[in-house]
Amino acid sequence: MRSGLITAVTRRRLATMAAAAAILTAPTVAFAQGAPPLTAVEKIYAELAALPKPERARRIEQGARQEGKLVLVHTLRGPLGAGHVELFHRRYPFLALDVAGEVGSQDAAERLLAEETAGRHLTDAIVTAVMDLDELIRRNQVARYPTPAVEAILPRYRAFIDPQNRWIPWFWSEHGISYNTRLVPPEQAPRGWNDLCNPFFRGGVSFDPAENRFLSGLNAMLGEAGTLRLLKCIGANDPIVQRGHTQRMELMLAGDHMVQGDNYLYHGVAMQRKNPAAPYAIVYSAPILATNDVAAINRNAPNPYAAALFADWTLSAESQAYLAAQLRGPVTLPHPFLPDSVELIDNIDPPPEVMDRLLAGWYRYVEKQK
Amino acid sequence: MKDRLGWREAALALLIAVLTYQVVVPFVVIIWTSLKQARPGEPDFLTLSFTLANYARAYGNAAFWHTSWNTLSFALAATLIAFVIGAFMAWVLARTNTPLAGLIGFMLIGRIVIPGILIAISWILVASPNIGLVNQMALKLLGLRNPVNVYSFWGMVWVQALELVPLVYLLLAAAFQAMDPRLEEASSMTGAGNWRTLRRISFPLALPAVAAALLLLFLTTIETFEVPLLMGTRAGVRVYTTEIFYDTSRTPIDWGLSSTYAMALLAVALVLLLAYFRLIGHGERYQTITGKDFRPRRIDLRSWRYLTCAVALLLVFLITGVPFLMMLYASLLPFYQAPSAAAFASMTFDNYWTLFHNTKTIAPMINSTILGPATATAVILLVALISYFVQKTRMRGRRLLDILGFAPIAIPSVVLGATFFWFYLIVPLPILGTLLIIGLAYLTKYMPVALRFVSASMMQIHGELDEAAQVAGVSWARNFCKITLPLLKPGLLAAWFWVMVHAYRELTIALMLARSQNRTAAVVIFDLWEEGSFLLLGAFAVLMFVVLIALSAAAHSISRRFGVREQLA
Repeated sequence: MRSGLITAVTRRRLATMAAAAAILTAPTVAFAQGAPPLTAVEKIYAELAALPKPERARRIEQGARQEGKLVLVHTLRGPLGAGHVELFHRRYPFLALDVAGEVGSQDAAERLLAEETAGRHLTDAIVTAVMDLDELIRRNQVARYPTPAVEAILPRYRAFIDPQNRWIPWFWSEHGISYNTRLVPPEQAPRGWNDLCNPFFRGGVSFDPAENRFLSGLNAMLGEAGTLRLLKCIGANDPIVQRGHTQRMELMLAGDHMVQGDNYLYHGVAMQRKNPAAPYAIVYSAPILATNDVAAINRNAPNPYAAALFADWTLSAESQAYLAAQLRGPVTLPHPFLPDSVELIDNIDPPPEVMDRLLAGWYRYVEKQK
Repeated sequence: MKDRLGWREAALALLIAVLTYQVVVPFVVIIWTSLKQARPGEPDFLTLSFTLANYARAYGNAAFWHTSWNTLSFALAATLIAFVIGAFMAWVLARTNTPLAGLIGFMLIGRIVIPGILIAISWILVASPNIGLVNQMALKLLGLRNPVNVYSFWGMVWVQALELVPLVYLLLAAAFQAMDPRLEEASSMTGAGNWRTLRRISFPLALPAVAAALLLLFLTTIETFEVPLLMGTRAGVRVYTTEIFYDTSRTPIDWGLSSTYAMALLAVALVLLLAYFRLIGHGERYQTITGKDFRPRRIDLRSWRYLTCAVALLLVFLITGVPFLMMLYASLLPFYQAPSAAAFASMTFDNYWTLFHNTKTIAPMINSTILGPATATAVILLVALISYFVQKTRMRGRRLLDILGFAPIAIPSVVLGATFFWFYLIVPLPILGTLLIIGLAYLTKYMPVALRFVSASMMQIHGELDEAAQVAGVSWARNFCKITLPLLKPGLLAAWFWVMVHAYRELTIALMLARSQNRTAAVVIFDLWEEGSFLLLGAFAVLMFVVLIALSAAAHSISRRFGVREQLA
């Protein structure tokens, strides 16, 4: 027992040290890898990285006060995103916030990409899934922002941290299997991903149309060949393909179909809290695909200090507690409803050619497109 | 004479300038983008090297042709069904003595204010397998399992057709009301019955409106998005708009490819438009409004009028009643459940209180309340001018004005929104994030439908009125404002209403151009939909329905005050 505890503590220390080292050496690493020269924004961030924490925090807040504005694309939707932004604004009322909050993760990345391609430096930061940053990273549009705020991230989620500091992971989304307990008797309840091929569920398992994040998660779990095999047998089981995660969840709970082959799990939990009779169960025995959601700063951000202030604040206690209260996955606190025993699969973006093959498999087997 | 020419030329110059800016520029951007592999804004984008690579990619695979087949068959089926129902309603309500015609017409038009996405959701709740109201009743009462399935090709066609009926009604009712009854009386006097008169006189006289309706229905269905997305995806029926949607849902978006798809839509629209011009080639044949006064005559159906009333009531119940009642029902529930005694017992106003306490929903409502009427007024003025120059002058190249005014119907909203976004990113006019950029995009988007409404009415006005004004020495501007526009009132009012409501509830463009200060009501709807708050969405839709009905009633009252006596219904 003692030995285990020591090991855990040592691991945590090592991880903290590694993160600190990564933070301090980031600018050097960036240059060593032949990255383009730092922009004015990145130079500010490199200077900040060299300061002691209290001084750094003071400089950021002072700079943000002078800027007085933050332009943000936030992809937590509706009241969830509005509540988060309101919390931030309450903490830093001197900032005028210009927040676009009705776009998806890919749209957020696309908007920044469009603006920067056109030479307009309008947006300071975006919130997006890390895999949607690919193109922005390839075009070197994301600022390297080393921050000690990431030290608060729990060891379980440290793999979300970017050694090159191009994003700040601050929450994660869970994709997993769930089912309607009224339509699925306990003895038939799915236990793992291969159970989606069970003929008992024929015509009763739903998915969204092709999603890179789902396929990349399966690929991380099963490998390319395993994923294609799974897609083939899912396709043979006559799946339902319908757009809209929350819509599908509502339909399943109303009795439209039996199983969510892939969906965010929190919405069903939220519905069950509202209506305890909602016939909802999560398959905890199947690994859950974890997508890293991050804040990324524009390397030409017009308000770099305000962007840094927001990025750091996302990992603050109040921001993370808010996420947990809203049933989303915080990274500095335990998950609000998933047990620790559940197996998480980090959603790692595969090489483009692999993703192309996975998508082709999806269209061929699951959507049965000609 | 000099004065008349001066005003006319000034109006024409202004018209050409506006059309160039609002239509030619977006088309140049789209055509240019379709011939480029670089993204807008990249250095290569503005060079003069072009490629057909996007065309080869878009049209060179079997999936494109399969999608084309789906799109065209879906559009054709929905068009025919919508036309039959809409024409029946227009004739029965506008030209016969069917009881309750005013009420039924009002309810039918009221349907337009319900956003398409909510119509689709409502029908999912009505005719979905397992949980749909109809299927549940069929199981309980008849022991039949899932006799109807909204997630099918014909399910899509049915919902889309019902969605389009009010458009047919507005177009044809305006044309029927503007019809000179003496022609029908002459037919009756020669011994022709009601049916023969309808077939030989009334419908042929309404041919411009009929052709416009068919054209608009077909193109609107090709461009429609909500039904194919919500039902077609599950039914495995992919159409152009869902392909474009999925193609533009990945980062980086392939703008070249989506512009190339828009070019296919443009080709279809141009072919149909040319066919339309050919069909109505001699506009003077349809002129029924002359210098002589008349009032449209209502045909006496005798006892058949009760049957037409019953059928019209049933149809209006399906078209307006079902979606509205489903929304009202959902808005009062704490969580969604099929109708039952327990469900009714659990009803609450909580969703409405939640909306009222959310200040984030008020500003978008105000924005839409500004955008809807402002867009509609600007569009109507513009299309009235286009229509005048096309129909009432012998000016060379006048058809080009019509084509320019109508061509934007070929641009899917997602592409149009992106074009405006890109254009104002590259051209640094400070309108990004304002209501103005959305309004300008709407001006382009809604011009085609409004143009067909107004053109069909303009075609019915005889040239002798214009000539009489000229002889009397009335200036062109005075003639246009005091004679032409008032005579167009039924068509103008119908078009204004149509544009106002659609601009109020438009989603795709508003979403692409939304920033923090210019969110619209539809963006809130989408937000509620995306976060799965269907019940809140129901409450929001009921409120929106009330606001739009109030706006429409206000507009109607204002127009009556300024002399419009015609009723929409």
